[in-house]
Amino acid sequence: MQYQKQNPPEVQKILDLIAKLKFPVIAIFILFIGVTGSYYTVEPDEEAVVIRLGKHLENTQPGLHMKIPFGIDNVMKVKTKIVHQAEFGFRTMNTSSRRTTYSTQNFDVESLMLTGDLNVAEVQWVVQYQISDPFKFIFKTSEPITNIRDAAESIMRRVVGDKLVTEVLTTGRIEIATDARMLMQEVLDKYDMGVSIKSIKLQDVNPPRVVQASFNDVNAAKQEQEKMLNQAEESYNRIIPEARGKADQLIQEAQGFASSTINRAHGDAERFTSIAKAYRKAPSITRKRIYIDTMEAIFKDLKDITIVDSKVKGLLPVFSNGGITK
Amino acid sequence: MSNKSIIGIIILLAVAITGSSSFYILTEGQQGIVTQFGKPIGQPITTAGVHFKTPFMQKVRYVEKRILSWDGYPNQIPTKDKKYIKVDTTARWVVVDALKFIQTVQNEQGAKARLDTILDGYTRDVISGHNLVEAVRNSDKILAKIDEKKAMIDARKAKGEFILEEEIGGEIDSVSIGREELSQMIVKQADKELVALGIKLIDVQLRRISYEESVERKVYERMISERQRIAQKIRSIGKGEKAKIEGRLSKDLKEIESKAYRTAEVIRGKAEATATKIYADSLNRDPKFYEFVRTMDAYKNSINSDAKFLLSSDSEFLKFFK
Repeated sequence: MQYQKQNPPEVQKILDLIAKLKFPVIAIFILFIGVTGSYYTVEPDEEAVVIRLGKHLENTQPGLHMKIPFGIDNVMKVKTKIVHQAEFGFRTMNTSSRRTTYSTQNFDVESLMLTGDLNVAEVQWVVQYQISDPFKFIFKTSEPITNIRDAAESIMRRVVGDKLVTEVLTTGRIEIATDARMLMQEVLDKYDMGVSIKSIKLQDVNPPRVVQASFNDVNAAKQEQEKMLNQAEESYNRIIPEARGKADQLIQEAQGFASSTINRAHGDAERFTSIAKAYRKAPSITRKRIYIDTMEAIFKDLKDITIVDSKVKGLLPVFSNGGITK
Repeated sequence: MSNKSIIGIIILLAVAITGSSSFYILTEGQQGIVTQFGKPIGQPITTAGVHFKTPFMQKVRYVEKRILSWDGYPNQIPTKDKKYIKVDTTARWVVVDALKFIQTVQNEQGAKARLDTILDGYTRDVISGHNLVEAVRNSDKILAKIDEKKAMIDARKAKGEFILEEEIGGEIDSVSIGREELSQMIVKQADKELVALGIKLIDVQLRRISYEESVERKVYERMISERQRIAQKIRSIGKGEKAKIEGRLSKDLKEIESKAYRTAEVIRGKAEATATKIYADSLNRDPKFYEFVRTMDAYKNSINSDAKFLLSSDSEFLKFFK
């Protein structure tokens, strides 16, 4: 006797249905996969690398493209038109708000580096690069991004290591960026990884954080010095011109005095000469006249005149009644 | 299901399994080694695409063809001149002999473990065998630069210009090997051992070299004290310059004032002399008359109305009074 396991009738019904539909469901499923897997789109900023059965077939440009489905063609899209940016010593957090925010994390380990005179400088920089060959980018190195970062750090330290810290902090920025770009391209070309460095830009370059205050103090001292000198110059410029003016005044006054003295002398002399000439014509009477005129002029205004007889000896009797008062 | 169809399915399955076992796909960036019962057969396959093999008996082992990265653990190493530094290295390597690679290290993990010991060891040897400068600089370019700068400053100083030297001091010894050469030395020495593993180094990069903390602190302290010294110098120079200007101010002021005084007095003196001569010339013609007239004038001008007068009745003026 054939034993047949009896399913409950409801379950049996569903199983029957599946058995009936089995073929069409699988067929539709395969067809669906086939259709959706036979085309792909490449975005405007991308390029696609097509690998057919493991072998590089072609690179395709933006647009809609056909491919063989079921894993025969593999498509890898790489953003080749975009300029990528790698940041060192800092990280941009958010560029969507009006003001870009940066991570507050400490990236000292990336940015602190030794300079040629064995000092330490904190250098922040960015490397901008473009993927020039998407195939090489994917298949020449296993970790292209890591390689870029490693090379960038190593090269920056190599370039900074050949500079004095003063140069690094002040005048050497452009030279450092140019040298680093050139050397980094050389290294990446050695890896043949299909990356071209567009630019290297130095961002903040500072003395290490703990010594920054003392660097600022030097600048403050310079400012103070400047201010002090300005103040001193200012008071010089205020006082000296005034003194020159006063000196000039003094000389002018002396000259005025001189001409007045001389003119008066001339005047007096001429007056005297004239009078003397007239006097010599009638000396005695002129002398008398002048004497009397003078006395008159004096005594006319006097308020207190005491006339004493020449025979009185001693003056006390005159003042016995308190005659000192007016 | 009939027996026929069961047999059909079995045959189909057998064909499919045999078929799929008779070829393999090698993707770009990979290389493969065909092994037969575990024994490698022939040269490694390096071209991507579909390749055939004997089904069931042969297997394929895949090995990376791409350049691989190695990241070393930051080591604290004393240099030859006894400076403790932390050295962080990275390296790039490729599998050049897949067969040796599989035999000796089997896979990437195995290779990394060996690379760790080999590269760490040689990095340590090379760094500790040289002065710190050698790991920092490549050339003596900055020495020339320093000399140039010094010559320029000396020239300007010779001209009497005042120059504040605010350069940051440092240690500047000359370099005989240089940073790049040190990396090359590590590569060369490590490659000698790695060749047995089927590995070749593309490069070793000294990614980061930094002072060990206590050394770093000392460097910072030196930088700080140097800045403080310079700031102090600037301040005292400022005070000195200020005092100079103030000195110049008082000197110029006194000079101006005294010169003016002198000039004025000379002018006055000359004028008075001239006047005196004029008077003398004129008055000498009749000195007696001058004495009289001048005395009369003096009386008039010197006696004011408030004066108290005692007149003797025999004064000439009163001679008619009696």
